[in-house]
Amino acid sequence: MELIDNLILGFTTASTLWNLLFCLIGVLLGTLIGVLPGIGATATIAMLLPITFQIGDPVSALIMLAGVYYGAQYGGSTTAILINMPGESSSAVTAIDGYQMARNGRAGAALATAAIGSFFAGTVSTFLIALFAIPLTAIALKFGAAEFVSLMVVGLISSIALAHGSVIKAMGMVVLGLLLGLVGTDVISGAPRFNLGIREYADGLNFVAVAVGVFGIAEILRNLENEHDRSVLIKKVHGLMPTREDFRRMAAPILRGTALGSVLGILPGAGAILGSFASYTVEKRMSAHPEEFGKGAIEGVAGPESANNAGAQTSFIPMLTLGIPTNPVMALMAGAMIIQGIVPGPNVATEQPSLFWGIIASMWIGNLLLIVLNLPLIGLWVKLLTVPYYILFPIIMAFCSIGVYSVNSNVYDLYVVAFFGIFGYALMKMRCEPAPLLLGFVLGPLLEENLRRAMILSKGDPTTFITRPISATLLVLAAAVLVIVFLPAVKKKRAEVFVEESA
Amino acid sequence: MRKLLAAFAAATMLALASGAQAQTYPDRPITMVVPFAAGGPTDTVTRLVAEAMSKDLGQQIVVENVGGAGGTLGAARVAKADPDGYTLLLHHIGMATSATLYRKLPYDTLQAFDYVGLVTDVPMTIVARKDFEPADIKSLLDYVKANKDKVTLANAGIGAASHLCGMMFMSAIQTPLVTVPYKGTGPAMTDLLGGQVDMMCDQTTNTTKQIKAGTIKAYAVTSAKRLDVLPDLPTAEEAGLAGFQVGIWHGIYAPKGTPAEITERLSKSLQLALKDANVAARFAELGTAPSTEAEATPAALKAKLESEIARWKPVIEAAGQFAD
Amino acid sequence: MKSIRIDSTNGLCGAFFIACGLFFAYQSWILDMGTALRMGPGYFPLLLAAVLVLLGIFVLVQATRVQGEPIGPLAWRGMLLILPAPIFFGLTVRGLGFVPAIFITAFTASFASVRMKPLAALTLSVGVTFFSYLVFSKGLNLPFRPFGPWLGF
Repeated sequence: MELIDNLILGFTTASTLWNLLFCLIGVLLGTLIGVLPGIGATATIAMLLPITFQIGDPVSALIMLAGVYYGAQYGGSTTAILINMPGESSSAVTAIDGYQMARNGRAGAALATAAIGSFFAGTVSTFLIALFAIPLTAIALKFGAAEFVSLMVVGLISSIALAHGSVIKAMGMVVLGLLLGLVGTDVISGAPRFNLGIREYADGLNFVAVAVGVFGIAEILRNLENEHDRSVLIKKVHGLMPTREDFRRMAAPILRGTALGSVLGILPGAGAILGSFASYTVEKRMSAHPEEFGKGAIEGVAGPESANNAGAQTSFIPMLTLGIPTNPVMALMAGAMIIQGIVPGPNVATEQPSLFWGIIASMWIGNLLLIVLNLPLIGLWVKLLTVPYYILFPIIMAFCSIGVYSVNSNVYDLYVVAFFGIFGYALMKMRCEPAPLLLGFVLGPLLEENLRRAMILSKGDPTTFITRPISATLLVLAAAVLVIVFLPAVKKKRAEVFVEESA
Repeated sequence: MRKLLAAFAAATMLALASGAQAQTYPDRPITMVVPFAAGGPTDTVTRLVAEAMSKDLGQQIVVENVGGAGGTLGAARVAKADPDGYTLLLHHIGMATSATLYRKLPYDTLQAFDYVGLVTDVPMTIVARKDFEPADIKSLLDYVKANKDKVTLANAGIGAASHLCGMMFMSAIQTPLVTVPYKGTGPAMTDLLGGQVDMMCDQTTNTTKQIKAGTIKAYAVTSAKRLDVLPDLPTAEEAGLAGFQVGIWHGIYAPKGTPAEITERLSKSLQLALKDANVAARFAELGTAPSTEAEATPAALKAKLESEIARWKPVIEAAGQFAD
Repeated sequence: MKSIRIDSTNGLCGAFFIACGLFFAYQSWILDMGTALRMGPGYFPLLLAAVLVLLGIFVLVQATRVQGEPIGPLAWRGMLLILPAPIFFGLTVRGLGFVPAIFITAFTASFASVRMKPLAALTLSVGVTFFSYLVFSKGLNLPFRPFGPWLGF
């Protein structure tokens, strides 16, 4: 069978001693850099990219770079869980419940859950890529502007479920996020908007800077509020590994998260973040105890983390099969391929089968190395939390300054960190949650851009959203979500949650 | 505590001393600013050339991505840098077009820089979704003129290569089309592959692979001669679009006031780098070729920049779209 | 006296939403609106800003009815010392160079906590600076100048 032959070719390519070594180095470096606060996957890859140019063999170089990517993803989740500092849009969701678990003394379980979920998702999506890369690409190509608009409507409506306090405030946060996302240059007309005349913000506010500000800095400030009467963030650490009960609770979310993340990861732009958010929403809806969400529910880590990793994997599909990078990380990978003399395009699979299948096989090997490497490291990471907070946060400040600056060498991004630090602290004081804000921030420009593009392409005919079958289906789904959100029974449950919250 | 301070001061002094003695250029690493994000075509060109140049110069050339505002942030950074030959800029045609596209620039494009030389001139291709009706460039022109309200023309955002080429195309055929802007080449190409949009004019860097794979249809190339990688593709001029030549030319600049010996030295190094077998091979895969020895000179780049600013000014002003 | 009591948390939040909404509405106003079928750059943001103002009013009304938790103490010292840290880094990283900028950033931020002693802060900052220099400048070869032109380079 062709698939078997291909996989054998892939594994023989990827498991030569050299390639295994490069994969290991990549995963290790990716984890170590990615775990530094404020430094997510994009920054890590951008920093490590030049190192791979020194490697002569393109297969080895790309295997190492892919390893860096998974490592950075995982490292980013680690900081999201330990210190509430997500370095990438998709780990913003992990931070919600992961950080709460850490505060409850269950950092070890949260990290192990993330590792296990990621590994499972990575395994499944590697095989998905091997089996269905080509047909999945065809589906991704059917997504035009109208479909994206409808998909984002689903995402935005679902995001309300992210809230564990007031729904109105969550809606306000989404809208404010959408507006903040529009800062910069209007894609359609080229007109600058809301940048207060500062040219450095012509391309919009840097996501990492905003996320570090509203999550990380705000959290540091909160911890500094009551230094005298409260000893720092953590309760007694109990148990490094998940309990039997934990395993029972994480199984289904991991499965669902993997499915959601794999599908949404193929889509350009917001695929990864939509996958994580969608998974969180689904888990909260299906859970027997939704009141635990936002306070350290293990499902809230297992689902989104699996979705995150599955999406990270399947986002390779458009690049490998079409030669089109769908996110900044993939753009860096494409650049690395070109420097190595391989121009990504539709023919890579047929022209360079050992490279194509070697990378796919190395994805799985990389995920395996990652879990082997990281399960023993969990103890070390958790120890980090016993370091007094007043020692930890100056280090955090230093690293996140470097991390944010390194992406574009734009000092204005650092001013964004400070501004959104106080902004996020104010939001926290007003009991507004930052996660819906970040979702809106990522989706804002995409929603507007696609909405207007859909109207241009349909020559001003708004029925385009319901006459195109995929778009229509998504809108029906959006309506269904809306009904569920405002259904009396659910509302009652939400009310209970709310009461409990303010009690 | 005092010991620590002393140690720190000593380390600082040491670093100061070792950097202060300048003899022959270059005696420390050179920074080459790319005014675009890492991973893009310009970044790739820069990294290839920088590596080859550093072999000759005997000092590392560190590539720094200073993206944003259509390349003008990176250009502004270099315009303000010390003219000592340790900060350089590799920019493309956007250097010339941003002079008109941006009405307020923090630097004067023609006054703020010294020149090193041209690097490459990437040709553009006029392409369409694979099931687009017209069979060749001649019928395309007729079809487009007859269906100007229906045909959609994608571009990768204001100031992008595809935006410039699209403007030049519409100006050449004297027919405005429905333009559909995207944020970057990736999504624009995805929609072209998916048949959501009809046409685009983009760099061979992005289109060659797709054309060869048959996933998009190519009509013409915008260079003076046919390309080696796509020998069957006619030039736009062959099809009767006189003067329709658009290339995304890249050049290396230094801040104004850089000593002539240094720019000459860099120009020599660039000429050598462009003859490097690896550079030539990578450029060929991208559908372009290194600039000739005569082009990789300060004078040639200066002349190119001046003529291109003059050439694009009326086209951009006629389109009436500005980026600020 | 039975006057209207406003819950401080939600009252502030409502006012904040309204203020943000008005800011964006004002900024959108000067942009081209276009039409619903062919939207200009101002159309969508103006719509969103209006929604935000509405939500703000809603929160404000709620605030007069339900009393929630008080705002609680504010981390003044933290804000005063943490927030300038990245700004300072931004202002000096090109001029002073990467090494002094990182050192001063970490050193300033250290004093946000009352528990930090000067000697510990100094040791910590030197450590962080040294580590960053090794990893980012030496190890990863990032294009940062360790010492900048303000120090005579």
